[in-house]
Amino acid sequence: MITWVYRHLPGPLAVRLVLALMLLVVVLVGLHFFYTWLGDSFLDTGGSVG
Amino acid sequence: MTDSDTTESVIETLGAEGASDSVIKELAKRPKPPLGIRIVRGTGWTFIYLGVLILGFVLHQLFVTDFFAERAQNRLATELEERIDFEDPTFAVVEIETGVIVEVPEAAGGGPDLTGSEFGGAIGPLFSFEAVPDKGDPIGNIRIPDIDLTWTVVEGVGLGTELKKGAGHYPKTPLPGQPGNAAIAGHRTTYGAPFHNLGELEVGALIHWDSLVGTHTYVVREVKIVQPSETSVLNDRSGGWLTLTTCHPKFSARQRLIVFAEIVEGPNLEAMLANA
Repeated sequence: MITWVYRHLPGPLAVRLVLALMLLVVVLVGLHFFYTWLGDSFLDTGGSVG
Repeated sequence: MTDSDTTESVIETLGAEGASDSVIKELAKRPKPPLGIRIVRGTGWTFIYLGVLILGFVLHQLFVTDFFAERAQNRLATELEERIDFEDPTFAVVEIETGVIVEVPEAAGGGPDLTGSEFGGAIGPLFSFEAVPDKGDPIGNIRIPDIDLTWTVVEGVGLGTELKKGAGHYPKTPLPGQPGNAAIAGHRTTYGAPFHNLGELEVGALIHWDSLVGTHTYVVREVKIVQPSETSVLNDRSGGWLTLTTCHPKFSARQRLIVFAEIVEGPNLEAMLANA
């Protein structure tokens, strides 16, 4: 899937590398927020009551 | 990646390298694997991706959240040290015998200067020296030697804000070291897990609280499990109490572990007990 995405990026090699890097950052940030929400909702809600 | 992906990739590469059309067409004609095999492969890759996602989640919760909490704690500890000289605390001093306030910490700021005024039996003014802190500000250090715990506590229990920095003080309860029931919440498994080993505390264990007004010592009186909606644990109490709350069991938010501790030592102890 990852190589499929990379192959379908437009432009020459340099542009594709930059785009791939940007895409990676976006995915990682998205995952961070998703994991944070998941953890805060189900794993450990901070221990507060009420 | 599937076989068709691989084929497509090879065709693209060959095309880029100037391979003849006949070679490319020949490759394109290569039959796809049977449906059953494609389903099995697809399922396999799906599980691999899910596994990577779950592994990422575990690593994120165990290490990334700890990283953020540790960074915040370092900053808060410095901030607190700048505010409080633990070696020589300038806490409010009241001569219990005469009831005269002899010293008021500068950091309290904003409040009336009560130096020289009389205590006169009124509990309120005695403990009002600590200015109400802003949310997110460090208010003191909690130390529990039995479980090797030392954390800087911040004001507020916002899940997405204060508790990510460590343990947080419930704003609607008195500050620790003041009369009544002061309550602190903390993560048990993530964000540095300040209260990870709170369940190991036994009745009689000591809890120390270092703040602007000096060091208070509490002794654990009760440890119990309640439902997350059980807000009665925060109810005010006579005397001086410290209530700690965290998730229970570990790696679950199903219940809450509550530790009740009563003050046994510290500045203005006598006056606090007079509130009992």
